[in-house]
Amino acid sequence: MDIIVAKDVRKKFKLKHGQQVKNNGIISNEIDALGGFDLNIKKGEFLVLVGPSGSGKSVFLDIVGGLSAPTSGVVYLDNKPVDAPSEKTGYVFQQYALFPWRTALSNIEFGLESRGVVKEERIKIARELLSLFGLSDFEDRYPYQLSGGMQQRVAIARALATKPEVLLMDEPFAALDAQTREILQNELIRIWEGTDTTVIFVTHSIDEAVFLADRVAVVTARPGKIKEIIEIDLPRPRNGDIRSSSEFAANRHKVWGALKAEVNKAQQEWKLAPGFTD
Amino acid sequence: MNISKRTKSVLGSILLPVVLIILWQYIFSAGYIASAILPSPHQVIKTFIIHFTENEYSFHIISSLKRVLSGFFIGIVSGFLFGLFIGLSRTAEKIFSPSFNAVRQISIIGWIPLIVMWFGVNEFPRIIIIAAAAFYPIALNTFAGVRNVPREYVELASVYGYNRLKLITRIILPSALPSIATGITLALGMSWAMLMAAELFIPTNIGIGTRIQIGREKFNMALILVGIITVGSLGFAMTSIVEIIAHAADRGRILRKEI
Ligand SMILES: Nc1ncnc2c1ncn2[C@@H]1O[C@H](COP(=O)(O)OP(=O)(O)OP(=O)(O)O)[C@@H](O)[C@H]1O
Ligand SMILES: [Mg+2]
Repeated sequence: MDIIVAKDVRKKFKLKHGQQVKNNGIISNEIDALGGFDLNIKKGEFLVLVGPSGSGKSVFLDIVGGLSAPTSGVVYLDNKPVDAPSEKTGYVFQQYALFPWRTALSNIEFGLESRGVVKEERIKIARELLSLFGLSDFEDRYPYQLSGGMQQRVAIARALATKPEVLLMDEPFAALDAQTREILQNELIRIWEGTDTTVIFVTHSIDEAVFLADRVAVVTARPGKIKEIIEIDLPRPRNGDIRSSSEFAANRHKVWGALKAEVNKAQQEWKLAPGFTD
Repeated sequence: MNISKRTKSVLGSILLPVVLIILWQYIFSAGYIASAILPSPHQVIKTFIIHFTENEYSFHIISSLKRVLSGFFIGIVSGFLFGLFIGLSRTAEKIFSPSFNAVRQISIIGWIPLIVMWFGVNEFPRIIIIAAAAFYPIALNTFAGVRNVPREYVELASVYGYNRLKLITRIILPSALPSIATGITLALGMSWAMLMAAELFIPTNIGIGTRIQIGREKFNMALILVGIITVGSLGFAMTSIVEIIAHAADRGRILRKEI
């Protein structure tokens, strides 16, 4: 059963007066971010989007999350067109930092406060999540007292607190160092494997994509659409050891094969842009 | 460690006054200056003691304190509400902000004659001008704090279905708190500055400012200095208290100095 269905989603942005862009060689004052995005996501699936920078991945996530409307086409969530943020959706976006005036515990409670969950229940849920991420001793800490990795765990916990059916994650680990990043990937996959949450996860790291995903969807250079979907045939439950297996390398190879051409194409476009010096 | 740090900072802050007093005493003892121009520290301390023990100086201090606090509270409450209002509503900002910014350019002291003509020479206009002095900084800082709430905070709240009231109380106000606290501290300083104007330009028999005035009339330089030092110390003490409260209210979260 498909929980999310994107049908021919297109998105154009009007540029500011005087700005222009080349779409397939034609100069225009509108930028084509998405050009016919079709994607079906199964319930409980972990889907990873990879694609060159500027290919519209974040724009697509915004549309799925009801934060922005498509210019044409439609995204269905549980068979209903998305036109506003839904209670069924959780958000882990880079720009959504923790609230600096709230403790770790209280940050996790945030999403529950507007949904009429009573205080004791909120605290219970938040504590469970903190312990799941190994942060029980840090519940009374403010964000500035936590490391980057801890902050990101709390941000994920905040999104999970509302028990979303769909979790949208836009490069959640991009700002972390390589080691912390692997640890968080391991934790995320462990926690996710114990739920039936559907995840759409955007990353630039092929290793991350292969390690986490059931399927990796490769997005073309702008205007973004799905180029190819690669099934990751690694067994679950997965743990960190799998990264060094030959199956992992084979999957990695497949994803890179699909992605390479698009990354080159996107780079080519920048090189053609006026003012670009290599 | 902690204590020695605090002791250090206290020592640091009294260093300059102590040096100045020593210098002052030295200039006086060396006979460079006549006591009618500048009395000696010794004279000032004597006057201080006499007035505190015999001349109801504390009554004047308390009256001035009441005056400044009344104005200050009226100013910060109304200024906060005004700043919040024009901060939350773009329409309100368009309507009120230009006039507010124009009026703000006029020194409050310039309004005194008009206010006295309306309300007469009594306590009310004194409190009004002190309140006006406190109003500006708190209004401006509340406005800035509300406007500078990161867009992402508001977006995240709306994504999770926060209604307008909850958005204000749980996101906007906490986020604007450091700026509001700065406004309150500035407002207190402005209130103390305006207290002198209120007491000197709207004549009264009661208050530290009037003691200074009497010192001038009697050519009692020491009495003038006692007044000035009293106002300075009280203003400093109150500003420190407000800063400590603001810091505590923030629970070390945003005003924190580490970041
Ligand atoms: N609000 C906007 N106004 C104009 N153009 C926009 C806007 N938002 C996105 N774009 C454009 O749409 C295209 C896709 O942007 P998007 O942020 O989705 O890329 P992305 O795939 O997430 O890139 P990255 O991997 O670098 O995060 C880009 O060319 C971007 O410049
Ligand atoms: Mg992006």
